[in-house]
Parts: sequence; C-alpha cells; structure tokens
Amino acid sequence: MIELAYPLALLSLLAIPLLIALHLLRPTRRRIVLSTTTLWQAALKDREPRVGLRTLLRNLSLLLLLASALALGFALAGPQWLTRASEGADTVLVLDVSASMKTRSGIGRTRFDLALAEAAGILDGLPRDGRMLVMTSGHKALLRTGFEADRELLRRALARLRPGDEVGRPREALALALSLLRGREQGRIYFVTDGAFGSDVDPGSPQVAFRVVGAPARNMAITRFDFRQELASEDRFQILMAVRNYTDAPVVVPASVSLDDRVLFKRSLALAARAEETLVLPFTGRARGRAIGRIEVDDDLAADNQAFAAVNADEPLRVLVFTRGNFYLESVFEAMPNLDLVMRDWSPAEDIARLALSYDVVVFDGIAAPRLPPGNFLLVNSVAPGLPFSDSGQLIRPRTLVRGQSALIGDADLTAVRIDQARRVIIDKPVPGLQRLIWSKETDLALALLDDGRKLVYLGFDLARSNFPLQAAFPLFFSRSLEWLRPRGDGFVSTHIAAGSTQTIPLPASETRVVMHTPSGKSGTLEAEGNPLLFDATADAGIYEYAVGEVVRNFAVSLTDTRESDVNNRWTPTERREETRPAGNAAQALVPLWPQLLMLVLVLLALEWLVWTRSRGNA
Amino acid sequence: MTSLNAPAASGGLVFDDEFLRKLEQLELLARKIFRGLLRGEHTTSRRGRGLEFSDFRHYRPGDDFRHIDWNIYSRLDQLFLKLHASEDDVTLHLVLDASASMGFGEPSKFDHARRLAAALAYIALHHLDRVGVNTFSEGLGAALPPIKTRHHMARLLTFLGELPCAGVTRFDSALRAFATRTRNPGLVILISDLLGAGDIQDGIEALRHGGHDVVVIQLLAELEIDPPLDGALRIVDAETGDELEVTVDEDLRRLYQHRLEHHLQDVERFCRQRGVEYLRASTAIAFEDVVLKYLRQGVHLR
Repeated sequence: MIELAYPLALLSLLAIPLLIALHLLRPTRRRIVLSTTTLWQAALKDREPRVGLRTLLRNLSLLLLLASALALGFALAGPQWLTRASEGADTVLVLDVSASMKTRSGIGRTRFDLALAEAAGILDGLPRDGRMLVMTSGHKALLRTGFEADRELLRRALARLRPGDEVGRPREALALALSLLRGREQGRIYFVTDGAFGSDVDPGSPQVAFRVVGAPARNMAITRFDFRQELASEDRFQILMAVRNYTDAPVVVPASVSLDDRVLFKRSLALAARAEETLVLPFTGRARGRAIGRIEVDDDLAADNQAFAAVNADEPLRVLVFTRGNFYLESVFEAMPNLDLVMRDWSPAEDIARLALSYDVVVFDGIAAPRLPPGNFLLVNSVAPGLPFSDSGQLIRPRTLVRGQSALIGDADLTAVRIDQARRVIIDKPVPGLQRLIWSKETDLALALLDDGRKLVYLGFDLARSNFPLQAAFPLFFSRSLEWLRPRGDGFVSTHIAAGSTQTIPLPASETRVVMHTPSGKSGTLEAEGNPLLFDATADAGIYEYAVGEVVRNFAVSLTDTRESDVNNRWTPTERREETRPAGNAAQALVPLWPQLLMLVLVLLALEWLVWTRSRGNA
Repeated sequence: MTSLNAPAASGGLVFDDEFLRKLEQLELLARKIFRGLLRGEHTTSRRGRGLEFSDFRHYRPGDDFRHIDWNIYSRLDQLFLKLHASEDDVTLHLVLDASASMGFGEPSKFDHARRLAAALAYIALHHLDRVGVNTFSEGLGAALPPIKTRHHMARLLTFLGELPCAGVTRFDSALRAFATRTRNPGLVILISDLLGAGDIQDGIEALRHGGHDVVVIQLLAELEIDPPLDGALRIVDAETGDELEVTVDEDLRRLYQHRLEHHLQDVERFCRQRGVEYLRASTAIAFEDVVLKYLRQGVHLR
C-alpha cells in the first residue's frame, strides 16, 4: 500500500501542460549557404524509412519528459510504501484505557480484554530486535514503558494495565506518540481502541494504525449528577440527575439517590430510544455526606450506572481576634459568611502557639503581638517581634498611597483613602516571602509574609483613625486576606470531578502531608511539594477521603460523560488507516519512496536527453 | 621564356604575383611531364599518323593492321603496334563550370578551377598548338577562342581573371551546346564540381560524340567533403536559392557523406566505362600539386 505524506504536492503536476508547450517550441535555425542542397535532400530521403522510428523518438522524448515530471510530482508528494518494518524500527503501542473499554464484549470479556489480545498480537509480530513502547490513553496519556526490546517486560507491562472510569482523550495521546517517533520515519504507532470517540482524533499521520476492537453494546447511563444549595437558604438543596438511554429501544430504568446510606429518592424512569431525562429534586435537611446516584440496569457498561458527589457543608472559618474593641473589624468579619468569630482582649503569650493551631486565623488589632508561631495571622496596627520588618514609631498623615500588584489588593481603588496616623516600619532584611501591598512615600502600610509554616498579613494603621473602613476596598481587603491566609476553595457544598482530572487540595500553612483513601480501599500518605496539593490519581470513580491534620474531607470522582457512555457511536477508521492484517503478523513500517522516484527521474531525464540528441537530425 | 609579368595578365586577385611565379616554374616541370606522357601511356586514334616514331605497344582488337610492326612479330611472335607522334593540330578545350556553386569554399572552387585552367593552358601551350577556354552554367558562357602560342598567355590569364561565377548548372544542355558549336574536336578538360541540375552523363556523352577526348576534373571544397555542420540549420542552395530546414547530427552527416560518395563513384564509374579520364581534387590541395601529382598519374595529354 502506498500512502502520500504531502498529497497537496500533486498540484505540481499542473506544470505538465507547460512542459508540453515547451517541448513543442521549435529551435531557431541558423541560416547557411551551401553549393547545393541536393545531397542533403537525398540524405534526408535516406532517413525516410526511419520516419516511424523518428516520430516515435520524438514522441518518446515527450513521453519520457512527461514521465519524469509525473515521477517528480509524485516524489514531492512524499509517497511511502507500507511494508514490513525493518530491523530496529520502533513501535508505539497506545492502549485505550478510557471507561468505554470496560464495555462487555462477549461472554466474560470486555473490550479491554480484546484490546489486550490485540496488543499481544502486535507484540508477537514485532521484528526480531524491534523495540516497542507501551502507553495508555485515558484522561491523560501515560507512558507505561520506554522503548523496550524485552518481550517479557512488555508483556508484564501490558498485564498490569486496566481500564479506568476516565473520559478518553486519544487525540492528546496520539500527539504524544507522534512526538515520541519524531525523526523515526520507520516508526509505527498502533492505537488499540474501541473507537468510542469523535473523528477529530485521527492525526492524519501515515505512521498511525488504528486497531478497533469490540462489538456493539447496550448501555444506559447517568450523564449528570450534582448537589446545589438553593439561594438564601442554608438547608434547602437541589439534586440534579440526568439519565440517558443509549439503546435503540425504550427502556424503564429504576433510579435512586442516596446520601450516605439514606435513600433520598427512588423512581423508575421510562426512557424512549436514545432519549435522556433530567431530574431536579428538591431536598431539605442536613446536606453532608457521600451522595450516590444509581440506575439499576444490567447493561454492558456498568461504570456509568452510578455517579458520586461528596456533599460537604463547608466548614466555618474559625477566626480569633485580639482587640480592645474595633467596630469596623467586627462588622466586616460578621458580614462574612460561614465564619466563627471569637473576640478576646488578651491571652498569655505561651498560649498563642496553641491558639494558632486551634483557629484558622488569629488577628491582633492594636495589641502588641508576641513572637508568632507557625499559623495564619492578621496584624492590624500591630507589629510582632521576629519579623523581617520592625516598628520605628508613628507617622502623621502618610502621603500618596501606592498600590502593589498583589492579588490581595487587586484593582481596589485607594485614591480616596486618608490616614491620620500610621506605624512607620522598616524592612530589616528583604526576604523572598515578603510582599509589599500598600505603601506611601514614607513607609510601608500593608505587607504580606509567607515563611516557614507561617502566613501573615500586616496593616499598619488604626482603622478608626482613617477613612479606609468607609471605602469599598475595605471588605475586599479583609475577605481576600482571610482567603489567602486560609484557603477554603469555592466553599460549595458539593465536590466532584471527572475521573482522571486533578483535584486541588488546599493545605494549611503548617501542613505538608495528606493521607488519601481511594474508592478501591487503598490508602497512602502524600507529601505536598506545593500548596495547594494537586492530586491526579483519580482514574476510578467513587468517593475519595483525605485527611489534612485532624481535618477529614471528601471529594467525589464520577464518569458522567455523554460521549464516553455512547459506546455504540464509534469512529470507524478510514480505509487508509484500517488494517486488515490479522494480529500476529510482523509489524509494518513506512518506507519513503522519494529517493527511488528521484533516481527514476534522473534516469528518465538521461534517457530523454539521449533520445533528444538522436532525434536532432529531424528536420 | 615567355614573360607572364604583364599587368593585364593578372586580371585581378586570382592571378597574383605568387601565382605567376609558380606558373613560370611550371615550364620546367611541363617538360618532364610531357616526356613521360610521350611514352605512349595513353593512345588515341590519331596517334601514329605522323612520321616521327614515338613508341611501341601491344596490339589490341580494333587497332589498324597497317601500324603492326611485322618485324617484331616475326622475331617475337607477338603483335605490337608502332606508334608515331601525331602531327595534327590538337586543340585543348578548357571547359570551366562558372555556376554559382563554384563560388563555394575557401578558397572558392572557381578560383581553384581558374588557377588549374591557367596551369593546364600553360603546359598545353608548351606542347600543343591551340588552347581555348569555354565557360558554362545554364548554357554556354564566356569563351576565349583558341590561342596558339604562349605569347597569348597573358590574354588567357586576363580572360580567366575576369570571369564571373553565377547561375544554375545545366550540364547536359550546356555541354551539348559546346559539343555542337565546337568544330575542331580535341582534348576537352572539363573542370567542375559536378554538383547541380541536369544529367552529367548526358553532357559528357555529348562531348564524346563530338569527337573529343574528355578529361573530367571534379573539384570539391573541403566543406562539401566533410561538412562541419551541426545543429538546427536552414541551408540555402547557392544556385537555386532553395531553402531546406535540417537538423544536422552525426547520423545525417554520415548519410550525406554516403550520398556524396555514391555520387562521386557514379561519375567515376561512368567515366571509366567511357574511357574518360576522371580526377577528383579538393580545393585544399594546391593546384600545382594537382598538376604535378594527380594529372601526371591520371591524365593523358598529348
């Protein structure tokens, strides 16, 4: 089979009419006087018997020229001969591990089982010293081996693979596979899949061969599942669930929703062929726990017969404020939702460390703070010892406030802010975690500090002696400061992500370890290299539980994807891509033909020159 | 010795001083030539009519019995003819092709022919009585009536020097006209390239029927023998002006040479069959060499 790498280059064949026109051009003849032309006429007559040959030579010249032009145009199109892979050719095996590969295909077998058998055939058919790399295509493309010639190692790698509950993204996987074979024209990519994806997956590369496995299947699926809180009501929720029938016949689907072990809803849904029904169910009460939506059907793909949601009524933010009384501060904290506020006017310095662990944020308002332990602190008109900046007295009416680029300030308008008296601070030693938020010509007025286990926001003036509380920037500043000091995510009650995607886990400043429990029952401790922690081992659907310090939280992973559940709407490879070669034959490779064609062009041109010189005697 | 340095004798560029000096040297050479010729290598019907013994030769059927030397027959039992030098007035007719094709070549064939004619005339006048010059192309052209002595050599040179070459060659009609018009048969030396229209053989036959001994000198330019032509050409016939488009390559050159060779062989064969002396010469060969080497080997002058 011949494939063209650059089919558009065939447009160069449009130059052939020009060649014909050039060929028909007659040469300019030199005029010369001879004593007689009789003998030349006789000589030409002697060639008369060769007129046929001469005409043939003349036409042969044109034919050779056209043939060379054709060969050149074809060479430019990058023809490649699909043949047995040469020794040492590299092969990339991409195995589809998306949720649709769990579809039952025959008795006791899934599409993934068929894919593994196909992969084993490809492995057996490799050239004697050919190498192969195994990778999987799920929500992410993952390399499972390097380019290996060891068959046993490759077989073991294949045996370890299993499909997840992820939505496949084969386009990205094939792009990665092609990048792995860049510069290896002999290389071949086999994508073993059930084809349950869109046609835009085909990268159009002749190096890619699709092996589609699996038979048509029968499937019903939960395609959407969510909890949401009704507006202006803390105990009223809505449950959203959509169920789709992917078969060509009407079905009755028993559906239910439970929160922990309590059934919230149970109903039979009558679904027409290829129809979907969306339910919005009101729910009043305590919404906290593990929500599971289920449909009780015996179809070929079970992975989408249940969906999960971790319903976490958001934990309140615990804030301890040391103050002698500050109306503005109390007002702004009380206006914030889901915030537990504790006001004190004094505590012993030795208790501060314990309190810092007990509260999410500790605020010192106009009270001298002691040396601060790890924790989250907001200093208002107060400076603590041991910080990279120190107090150096008072400043009357600082001039011209300047706002930095920090997200804590954002684009807040400070032009109208007037301050009667502020603390003058000196930055003793610049440290990487110290960020200037607001400053005047004379001193810094607001700073943010992030150092070992400690987060701190400093505001260097008395709120009562400024008009800052009257500005729109005032609640914005404190809201963002608390969010930065103790991130709480979006604060919504329901947490769930698509299988295979990344869950963001915010960590307190003092924590770097997360203990994770997966739906399959496995547990492990994760060491955070940054904050927040990014967790992406979410191939399996279900409820994931993690503990940060003493706080235990959940998040849910579900399939709920209309395209992935549509297991019968499968992309069929074009004839160009599809291979009829049975598994187990030798691997194939693409051999570029342009060098041979170029050689043919040269030979044809040489022949054409020869013919042309022989036919020059023609009048 | 007759002086050839008269100004009128040069008659133009053809006969420059160098040529005239060479011509004067031919006087001595001519004596040698004619001594050899008089040994009877070439017999004619007129040989033996004179009184002066010249030579013997074997009898051939058709010879006059009266000239058999019976004394020799009685001694050797073989028939020999006793030859005598002719005492007739023999006229050398120099017949020059003055068609346009003779102007071809470098030097031109016509220049070569004129020099050759002058040399032959000079040699002939040394021994013969009369030399006449005639030119032809389509028909007969300018003619110089026969002159008898070398004193008229300057006139002959002037005549030759002023001859033009132009027109189309018509061998048969022109030579037939010459044969008809000429009253006293003699030795005709036809100098031509023999390239042109008309039947050459008819023309030569007409000369023979007119009672002439005929010698044919075919002059060819080197460019005609081995044409250095190549590529796409439009060749023009110097005589007719006809044009022919041709792309010359090695193959066509070979065919041309084959055709030329065939033509030359036809002419030569015809001449041999008719007892006509035939000499082929190239303009690349100096005319004195032609006279000394080639004419001596092949042409029988009396």
